[in-house]
Amino acid sequence: MTKKTVLISLALIGLTALNGCSGPKDKQESNSLGTNNFEEVSGYYEAHPEFFVFRDIEDLPANLKWEDGSHLAEIGSESAKKGGTEYRRLQDFPRTLRIVGPDSNGSFRPMILDYVTMPLAARPPDEFDFYPALARSWAIDQNNKTVYIKLEPEAKWSDGQPITTQDFLFMFFFYQSNYIVAPWYNNWYGTQYSKITRYDQHTFSITVPENKPDMDSRVLGLRPVPRHYYVELGDDFIDRYQWKFPPTTSPYTLDTEKDLKKGRSITLRRDKNWWAKDKKNYRYRFNTDKIQFTVIRDNAKHFEAFRRGDIDQFDLTLSQYWYEKLPDDDPDVNSGYIQKTVFFNQHPRPTYGLWINTNKDLLDQKSIRVGIQHASNWDLVIESFFRGDYKRMKTSSDGYGEFSHPIIKAREFNIEKAQTAFAEAGFVERGDDGILKNLEGKRLSFTVSTGYERFQDILTILKEEAEKAGLELIIEVLDSTTGWKKVQEKKHDIHFVAFNVGLEMYPRFWETYHSDNAYYQPFLPNGTLNPNRKIKTQTNNLEMLAIPEMDRMINAYRASSSKEEMKKLAHNMTKLHHEHASFVPGFVQPGYRLGYWRWVRYPEHFNYKYTRSSTQLFVHWIDEKIKTETWEARDKNKSFSPKIETYDQFAE
Amino acid sequence: MFNMNPETQKKIRRFKGIKRGYYSFVILIGLLSLTSICELIANSRALLVSYQGTLYFPIYSAFHPGTDFGLDYPYETNYRELKQKFLNEGGDNWLVMPLVQYNPYENNAQNNVFRPAAPSLSKGHYLGTDTTSRDILSRLIYGTRIALWFALAFTLSVYALGIVIGCAMGYFGGLFDLIFQRFIEIWSNIPFLYMVIIVFSVIPSGFPTSTRIGLLLFVMVLFSWTSITYYMRTETYREKSRDYVSAARIMGASNLRIIFRHILPNALSTLITFVPFTVISSITAITALDFLGFGLPPPTPSLGELLKQGTGSLRTAPWIVISAFGTLVILLTLITFVGEAIRESFDPKKFTIYK
Repeated sequence: MTKKTVLISLALIGLTALNGCSGPKDKQESNSLGTNNFEEVSGYYEAHPEFFVFRDIEDLPANLKWEDGSHLAEIGSESAKKGGTEYRRLQDFPRTLRIVGPDSNGSFRPMILDYVTMPLAARPPDEFDFYPALARSWAIDQNNKTVYIKLEPEAKWSDGQPITTQDFLFMFFFYQSNYIVAPWYNNWYGTQYSKITRYDQHTFSITVPENKPDMDSRVLGLRPVPRHYYVELGDDFIDRYQWKFPPTTSPYTLDTEKDLKKGRSITLRRDKNWWAKDKKNYRYRFNTDKIQFTVIRDNAKHFEAFRRGDIDQFDLTLSQYWYEKLPDDDPDVNSGYIQKTVFFNQHPRPTYGLWINTNKDLLDQKSIRVGIQHASNWDLVIESFFRGDYKRMKTSSDGYGEFSHPIIKAREFNIEKAQTAFAEAGFVERGDDGILKNLEGKRLSFTVSTGYERFQDILTILKEEAEKAGLELIIEVLDSTTGWKKVQEKKHDIHFVAFNVGLEMYPRFWETYHSDNAYYQPFLPNGTLNPNRKIKTQTNNLEMLAIPEMDRMINAYRASSSKEEMKKLAHNMTKLHHEHASFVPGFVQPGYRLGYWRWVRYPEHFNYKYTRSSTQLFVHWIDEKIKTETWEARDKNKSFSPKIETYDQFAE
Repeated sequence: MFNMNPETQKKIRRFKGIKRGYYSFVILIGLLSLTSICELIANSRALLVSYQGTLYFPIYSAFHPGTDFGLDYPYETNYRELKQKFLNEGGDNWLVMPLVQYNPYENNAQNNVFRPAAPSLSKGHYLGTDTTSRDILSRLIYGTRIALWFALAFTLSVYALGIVIGCAMGYFGGLFDLIFQRFIEIWSNIPFLYMVIIVFSVIPSGFPTSTRIGLLLFVMVLFSWTSITYYMRTETYREKSRDYVSAARIMGASNLRIIFRHILPNALSTLITFVPFTVISSITAITALDFLGFGLPPPTPSLGELLKQGTGSLRTAPWIVISAFGTLVILLTLITFVGEAIRESFDPKKFTIYK
């Protein structure tokens, strides 16, 4: 942090301290806005004095080390042009514009929340650091588990109202309230944060209950809620705000009258007066003036729309698209109208694999599970389904750098080893249909369920290969909601699913491996498994893992604030989990592939290390001139040089 | 019960006279009987293996691990490879493969990559392969079998239910008729396709395939029998008031006897003309349901599922949609011809004109 910024911030603090008020209530600032729930809100703040703390700016600790991420390289390309319209597809019309509450967690939400709105500070896509967004600077006091924030005084909502500390105080009220009907939010905002302290209109601090190495991201990732907008927040929240578009920090807004054609299309428009339009890290992003989303339900139709040029870009990650439907020698690719790009990224990988329910008969035996591991031919899946473009996953916590185990690899497909393992559990003889059976005549047969229709063929391959080892897998393809419900109720034998993982410093273990998430009273006092244990549903412990040793390590890991210790624990837990053999690691996707019309432009290096999709950071732009040129060239049969590119600078 | 009376014989003669319909009927019967030996036509197991002087019939016997034929693996023998091996060795061992040497479920990926392969005589994929490298001809054969038998079972059940209830309504009349009519009015207003989709989506897909097909049949029948009752009811009403029914009643015949011996044979001729069209509509329905993904559970071979795949890869693999569409057109055309012929030969006008 430079001296200059310190001076400026100090000056600003001084200014705001003069005109801002240090009164403890919501009342003073919201009164002027004519609110009618200020009493309820300030009453809530008063009723929770340990959570909502009001101080004066003089109380701000003096020796804080303020940071502002100014040393980081800028995101986006200087050659980006503003303007143009981008055409995209929506598989389904969103069920609501609310960003919280029932039905809000849909595939459109990133376009009005995750990808576009501003947190306090954001992760740069190439480094494990922060660049400023709504915050001008921040200071981390690891010992007191507190992060101090100075807001950008110019920051405004899309309706022109300034963004102040009130919006962050209110954020906690909002997410903790029952009006929003969102228990996960109630829990997260109620337990993962322990205190917010207001110093003045633009200065506050947030305290978390545990001192974790990544506690900064917990706080800096927060996004405010417009206090002045939700003045009538009440029991009718779900209906009242179903189709309203609240003031946002995003550069893209929409007019619900004009831009929302229910069931058909949505248009997002770039706010030309967006306060951050000239701000570093934002000025070369969010370039297109309009983004038009059209509902196209069918995948085949979506692809045809792309081929017609009605849609600008198409995700070619699935092999059949990359190799067959849009091959390198396709006329449109050959004449340079459509460009193809492979981009290798780095990201904690979604955990695609077989989750074995160890609470089921036979599957509770380790040798059976080891047999299943050796009978699952993922290498063939990768070779024949993914054409060798994907890689075998090693453990369930790949992609966390030094937190991932350096040596352990998934067990290989090996019929002999599988049969040896099954024989240990008493399955020696093969029946008339070639499936192993034990002495009592019980067949070695399990159901493999999944909610991924598009990956159905993967299970077909696994099934055919497993039969070679004498193991029968019955495939059950469900729709995604039903599939998820099934594993959440722990009714599966073996389930094929992946957890999406956010960009985090270290893997989480508690959710998936702690016995607390498997059973009520999992153990007897003497430490052995309780025979009368009751299954706990709606948790992510899909393997029903209950190992005292694992619990002990997870607790230590959660309580630890030393990176070294956590690393060691993470390795040991990964090892224990591997030995337990209850998860068959599947595949990892090392990057993404894209086809796009040549008027879609990307920065020189295409994209960033930690991106999951090419459009996530909005660094691309639409060049309308090139668009006209391309259509004219097509009419006259003129071609350009073909462009098929691979960006492997971040390949692992 | 259904004695060949001169009237019926005349109708059959007339039916035989309509060549287009008659030959379609013969072809359909031929197809139906062929479907019962699908396993001998399209299969990955060999019809006959002669190994070291012993004869094996793998299709209708337990599985043979590779070790049975001197191979080094303990799982199911790959007979196509075995055939090649026997040929290379040139010994006394030989085996005969069926016409189509692939079963409808196996993925026969070329170069280990799943993708549609164009029809090829040399590889034995006469109609090519689908998106997961399964033989299309094999899937069509088994898919047609399921569609045909499903349609027949559906038609039989719908008619059985419709005739019994319709007859009872017409024959007993009164309050029974009144109540049942209202019930049918309500019941038939439930949209059939939606109900099938809703009901079928709550059936756990862990059930064995045969159970799921049975359940689908049950649900479809449940919502399709009502239309038959209307015809049956009016026919029964009409026949009931005829003199021969009164005569039978006076002679002390029971209700059951009157319905089945006297009324039914006379009322049936109208219904028979509808049968082929019911078969058509049920084939269309099951195909449509499969196309939408609510029909037969995967990986059951089905025409609708092939059509869906085909429309998804129109550009890259046109042979999928051509095969499935062609089969459907041929099947439905044949049945329509039969239906037209039946309708014509059963046309009462031919017999009521006084000469």
